[in-house]
Amino acid sequence: MLDKTLKEIHEALINKQVTSEDLVKEALAKSYEIKEKYNAFVTILDDAKGRTVTDDLVSGIPFGVKDNYSTKDVLSTGSSNTLNNYVPFYTATVVQNLFNKGAIMVNKTAMDEFGMGGTGTTCHTGPVLNPWDKTRMCAGSSAGSACAVASGVYPYALGSDTGDSIRKPAAFCGIVGYKPTYGMLSRYGLFPFASSLDHCGVLTRCVEDAAIIVDAMKGQDENDMTSWDSSNIHLEKHLNDNVQGKKLFYIKEIADLENYPNASVELKEHLQNFHDTLNKFKTLGVEIEGVSINQELLNAIASVYVIISCAEATSNMSNLTGIIFGPRGNNPKVMDMIKEHRTLGFSPLIKRRFVIGSYVLQKENQERYFKNAQRVRRLIVDKIEELFQKYDGLILPVSSGPAKHFDQDDDCIDENTSVLEEHLQIGNFGGFPSITIPSGFINDLPVGINITGARYHDELVLNLASKLESLMPYKGQIAKEVTK
Amino acid sequence: MKKQIAVIGLEMHCELKSNSKVFSKACNSYNETPNSNIAPLDMAFPGTLPVVNKKCVADALKVSMALNCTQPEYMYFDRKNYYYPDLPKGYQITQMDSPVGVNGHIEIEVDEELIPVDIHDVHLEEDAASLDHYFDTSTIDYNRSGVPLLELVTEPCLHSAKEAVAFLEHMRDIYKYLDVSEADTKKGQIRCDVNVSIMDEDSQVFGTRVEIKNVNSFGGVADAINYEIKRQTSLKEEGRYNEVEQETRRWDEEKGQTIHMRSKVDAIDYKYFVEPNIPKYKITKEWLEELKQEIPQLHLERKYNYINNYGLSNYDASILVKEKSISDYFEECLKLNIDAKSASNWITTQILGYINKYELTINEIFLTPKRLKDLIEALNKGDISSKQAKDIFYKILDEKKEVASFITKDNAQINDETVLTDLIAQILTNNPNQVDQYKAGKTNLFDFFVGQVMKETKGKANPNLTKEILTNKLK
Amino acid sequence: MPKFTKEMVDDYAAKLLIGLTEEENKMVLDEFEAIDKSIENVTKIKGIEKIEPMTHALDNFIFSLREDKAAPSIPIEDALRNAARVEGREIEVPKVVD
Repeated sequence: MLDKTLKEIHEALINKQVTSEDLVKEALAKSYEIKEKYNAFVTILDDAKGRTVTDDLVSGIPFGVKDNYSTKDVLSTGSSNTLNNYVPFYTATVVQNLFNKGAIMVNKTAMDEFGMGGTGTTCHTGPVLNPWDKTRMCAGSSAGSACAVASGVYPYALGSDTGDSIRKPAAFCGIVGYKPTYGMLSRYGLFPFASSLDHCGVLTRCVEDAAIIVDAMKGQDENDMTSWDSSNIHLEKHLNDNVQGKKLFYIKEIADLENYPNASVELKEHLQNFHDTLNKFKTLGVEIEGVSINQELLNAIASVYVIISCAEATSNMSNLTGIIFGPRGNNPKVMDMIKEHRTLGFSPLIKRRFVIGSYVLQKENQERYFKNAQRVRRLIVDKIEELFQKYDGLILPVSSGPAKHFDQDDDCIDENTSVLEEHLQIGNFGGFPSITIPSGFINDLPVGINITGARYHDELVLNLASKLESLMPYKGQIAKEVTK
Repeated sequence: MKKQIAVIGLEMHCELKSNSKVFSKACNSYNETPNSNIAPLDMAFPGTLPVVNKKCVADALKVSMALNCTQPEYMYFDRKNYYYPDLPKGYQITQMDSPVGVNGHIEIEVDEELIPVDIHDVHLEEDAASLDHYFDTSTIDYNRSGVPLLELVTEPCLHSAKEAVAFLEHMRDIYKYLDVSEADTKKGQIRCDVNVSIMDEDSQVFGTRVEIKNVNSFGGVADAINYEIKRQTSLKEEGRYNEVEQETRRWDEEKGQTIHMRSKVDAIDYKYFVEPNIPKYKITKEWLEELKQEIPQLHLERKYNYINNYGLSNYDASILVKEKSISDYFEECLKLNIDAKSASNWITTQILGYINKYELTINEIFLTPKRLKDLIEALNKGDISSKQAKDIFYKILDEKKEVASFITKDNAQINDETVLTDLIAQILTNNPNQVDQYKAGKTNLFDFFVGQVMKETKGKANPNLTKEILTNKLK
Repeated sequence: MPKFTKEMVDDYAAKLLIGLTEEENKMVLDEFEAIDKSIENVTKIKGIEKIEPMTHALDNFIFSLREDKAAPSIPIEDALRNAARVEGREIEVPKVVD
């Protein structure tokens, strides 16, 4: 039952074809199966109980929560050994909003440690495997959530997105990943990675469910000064609005094959898939144009992201000392005790990023690295906003192809890193609403396409995504392991 | 060696008064019970976020305006990053780039002379937790974590311990007048860092600057400055000025010394950057105007008003403006047209004596300016003697009754000439021997007759009138 | 401009209260080189120094400051429940010395 859409499941609950208790049992059983196969969870909530079914579409239905959300009385680790025993006493606002509407949390999903990573391999519980092909990554950081939703454990799971941490794993797992405009969802209770880039969001198997869940979670929160009143936004209501005459642009430097003279077969297929998808979309009367953007700016995206996110992260994670929470170091000197906690607790990737973040914030380096990165961030955002004056959205392929093998480490920043891999970070730079939906298969593995829109125009972004989704046969798809 | 002058700059941290802390909703009040005023943010639980308290910003802006600072169009906060067990987030939220005020200037009074002080900036930040130390452990109480602090940084423009202390006292009075802080050093609400250097009297070049951290009393500030001036001057005298290094020292109150903490090369890089969780906040002209209306006239202005326009002495005026409530009381008296000197005398002697003795505030006592006026008028009219006035003063305070109720017929002065003349005639008739002796030249018996009159009238006879009638009758 | 050296990496790590292995140290330097090259290009963007750094994802929305109302303290049990060492109502650590 849980492989259906929210509305279908709700209908079944209302018609008493199934009870909430049945759904919880199904979700828990499936959770154990998926944990065994793909290592997607940090915690499975064995004592989860069915709840009363109401008019709320989420009532009585199980869901998953990324382990960087604070959940009262439930282990919340951020997939880090620095918090491997941390049990919060409060629940993140967006999770609480779902609880208030009768939703049932059944597990906490594994992730790249504190969201800092794009592979799903740096979780303290070990790597998360891709449900389409166990030799591949889910991408990250919301790896467990993507894996679980793609596997049909439940119709949706919460993720968080600082660079592309919802939207990339969604593509690699063949599902939908949506992060709304910055501040539409409260970040209160989300363990921070880089506060000016962090977004809450959701992974689902169809655009409609993403709309329903964000409608249910959103709202201004007195505990988050960057949240705003979105009571006039109704995502689900506008999914089927007419999109004829809407105008989208793609960035030629990123999506045109001619820019990749040495393209692999896989990349060629991927870009072909993208342009084929655009052609389908045009049948609805959507106009799509290629636009050229200064290559200098595009090439800077990855570094801008790394500099800003690492800088904010070193500071954000300075509360991890083992004094108030987390396992204690044994060293008898207090500062050494903290150092022991941090050295043993953080994965090598995070430690490396901290050093970089610290370097770029040093007084003598700040101007060249951190401030310049923030300046380029503005240049990029201003450029995209300028284009949003003319276009209703930006449409681009996600990544350079399908999920990568575990031996293709994606997290080393090397200068050859293609803009194609990193461009979703634009959505975080500007706080733009951004959604990824599946757009087909390459070598039997799913690939995705992304639509990003102007701030506060979430209704339109989901409307466009929903219309595009309706032209393709991937809505609601469940991962099937590909045998090779 | 040429005469040396000291160059001193101050950083003054003062806890602000508010219901809740600056970035969290925990109660901002001193609490004996450890960890009893805590919001999740104060212990930096993962996922918690700062939310700025409007009152703290308003109060900080008032101080900024009172110091003639420039206020920013957009205010924001910065993170100051460092590790210490009393700092749960691993950073302090403070203001670096766009504080509530910059480039201020005020005048303070030192030895009845006004001297200018330039203010570098004033910024709003949060306090750290407090540590208690035991044999081989320390414990952490987070009650103080997140308490609003206002930090004020002067330019290096002061030249003696006396000036420094005068500045601190002046600021303490301003905080109290603005009602933004209790500004009580005994409660640890004011803490100072002091920068001291010396240079040749005629030089334009500052000497090597030494910073002294965490001096917690004004006396300590004076002692630390004097110690440091002496230390640096001695080294210079001995030709060892190169041994004065740019360093951070701390003041050891018990030893009466400053002690090396760290050198400039070991200075912490705080890696300041803009706090991303607090959006840039527009300080509107309207809001500033509104806040400005709430700023009362400050103590120095009031003091010079009392001296120049009401003829009070500098000494009395100083006492009157020491606390705003007292100054307000005095001004209320002026509004009621009580003679300034008379009001000043009553307040500085009787009233202050009383409220200090009973640890009251001037607003708590029953003797309002209106009642003080009644009392002074009764005295001026001669309804009561000044001795009676003092007695009635205490009776009003103790019994909480109107002045009139104590000026009954019974204790009203006897001013009626015929009554007194009759009474005196009677007394002279009853004491013929004394009358004879007086007339024979024993004039010191005059006091005997006055005494008799007072005895008969229970002290209520008008003494001047009594003397006048007696003098006539005994001629 | 001082280049980022192995010793500097170790020094930064020490200040961040983390230890790095030799291998991790080298990876930092490699990653940093890529960033430095990219930033070198950024510094060549005309007029870059005049751009106001973007510090927040959104800087154009209306919000208000919090009214000064206090809320009850969190219960002491919640405050201390994750701490490894507690003494009375306080969290205990090895002696903190300056």
